[in-house]
Amino acid sequence: MSQDVISCEYHAAKARWNVVRMMRASGAGHLGGALSCIDIVTALYFRTMKNDPANPTDPARDRFVLSAGHKGMSQYGVLAEAGYFPIEELDTYGQLGSHIPGHPDMHKLPGIEANTGALGHGLSISLGMALGARLSGGASRVFTVLGDGELPEGSNWEAFAAAAHHRVDNLIAIIDDNGLQISGKTADVMGLEPIEDHLRAFGWSVRVIDGNDMEQVISTLDQVPFEEGKPSAIVAHTVKGKGISFAENQVGYHYWKPKGDELERAEAELEAQIAAKQQELVGILGNTAGNNAVLGGVAPPAAAPGIASAQTGERVGAVALLLELSQGKA
Amino acid sequence: MSDPVFRDPRKAFGMAVSAIAEANENVVILSADSGHSSGFKNFQAKHPDRYFELGIMEQGVVGVAAGLATTGKIPVFCAIAPFATLRPYEMLRNDVGYMRQNVKIVGRNSGITYSDLGSTHHSLEDFAIMRMIPGFSVLAPQDPSEIEAASAAILEHSGPVYMRIGNEPIPELFEPGEFKIGAGRVAREGKDVTIVSTGSITGDVLAAADILAIQGISVEVVGMPTVWPLDRERLVASAAKTRRVVTVEEHYVYGGLGTIVQEAMNETVNVSVLKLGIPHGYATSGPYRQILAQYGLDAAGIAAQVSAFVI
Repeated sequence: MSQDVISCEYHAAKARWNVVRMMRASGAGHLGGALSCIDIVTALYFRTMKNDPANPTDPARDRFVLSAGHKGMSQYGVLAEAGYFPIEELDTYGQLGSHIPGHPDMHKLPGIEANTGALGHGLSISLGMALGARLSGGASRVFTVLGDGELPEGSNWEAFAAAAHHRVDNLIAIIDDNGLQISGKTADVMGLEPIEDHLRAFGWSVRVIDGNDMEQVISTLDQVPFEEGKPSAIVAHTVKGKGISFAENQVGYHYWKPKGDELERAEAELEAQIAAKQQELVGILGNTAGNNAVLGGVAPPAAAPGIASAQTGERVGAVALLLELSQGKA
Repeated sequence: MSDPVFRDPRKAFGMAVSAIAEANENVVILSADSGHSSGFKNFQAKHPDRYFELGIMEQGVVGVAAGLATTGKIPVFCAIAPFATLRPYEMLRNDVGYMRQNVKIVGRNSGITYSDLGSTHHSLEDFAIMRMIPGFSVLAPQDPSEIEAASAAILEHSGPVYMRIGNEPIPELFEPGEFKIGAGRVAREGKDVTIVSTGSITGDVLAAADILAIQGISVEVVGMPTVWPLDRERLVASAAKTRRVVTVEEHYVYGGLGTIVQEAMNETVNVSVLKLGIPHGYATSGPYRQILAQYGLDAAGIAAQVSAFVI
């Protein structure tokens, strides 16, 4: 396996660990989808896209739009790993005034290109970005990750149709097809399978891959556009909750409130994955001081921020609690 | 007295924007099968690269507009008012407003000017909903020259704008001049009552002022081609003088100019406000002038209601 693949796997493992770090800070978040698409997001930032954490508004950059904005922890985790912002920012997740809100806000954090969260918006915005780049004569490409669960939103299909009609081949849509959404299996809630048939019918050039197989992810992204004059789509079969064994393929972990020792178990699993990838990389790069510095492990998180006493489980009279909250005592 | 000049507001808008776009290559026109009726047919022929026909998909068009704006373009999207506002409202709030993008939305055939086509084609809540999106300016210029000047002003302005225009030919009311977003104008001075008006109905308001003058009622007409943010200073100065305020608009009496004026009055000189507009319901259809008359929004109807309010 090539060094590029292992390197991306290493960064993806660390980005997953960053996701758990955010979960530790907030106590709740959209875990499952963040982990299913995070290999793709990692490959985009660390391999595919022209992007520079030191110059995030370079007009010539490729752009990433997370249409399924609730998977924002995936992008935050990768951006932090790539050095777009200090990693300590992750410890503000879920806190008042955080720059990494539950759904991304382009005015709060470098590297965010669009304010998503309402489903079915991202592809139209991305199409506008791609058209703007083309009109300006630039080579910028726009990569958009959509969730399979958001595909029934009609506005997606407006954008799919318009992108093909206008032959926008600098637009790449990646469907994070983890097969689950909050009410159950996507096929049962509103089946659009096989997704690739719909996309082809709308005029897109489509590949179907395993979206958690870094080698496939990288080699497929390397080949866009698949056809000149056509937008490219990748239907990426993924595992919701990928990387944390007890969360994998469990719809209950779409939105996760860690219980018991779940956080510790998740961290232990991910630290083992990071260490394994580190070993593989060391095997390739050689065990030198410089390489060890580059590879460095995960930064220890800050102490978990204090959680209001209301969450300790003690029953408190509601009015008394609200009074305390308003006085800043709780 | 020379004969009044009537002009199609859509052509006034389309030609004004096209002329500016000749000089400013960042201006791009978006169409949901709506560009030709918005006055951009010639522009499309001349600059096909800057005219994006997307078909009838207003939600997607607004998202595309936001995306284009992130690359420095100045997208202008004009369509029938309810389809440019109600259908893509979430995109207007999130993709344009929340993302703070420099997008210009123009609702044409607004108010009840698509008279006989019925309520699906009327827009009687667009002021109310568009002013609720933080960052949007909301405009309703009053005559063809003001539409032209406003078109220049919105392209000069950096930020989201919603402008509504009609489709019936409307008379020139004012000498052409510069347009400043957020500025009202005293169209006629008076002392007994202030009538605040927006959009092309200001023509009927001025005619109503003539009727009321014969009855001995001196009307001050304050034109507000920017509905939001409102020119409070001009409003308060007039209201403090006349102590009576009437609002007239081709919009529901709730949520639009009347409500905005009432809020301003409550917070300043505490003058009571009579709000004239379309009652809250699905308006009747038929010839435009007849609908106006039915709801008391032609000159005679306005004059009668103002007279009853003043005396």
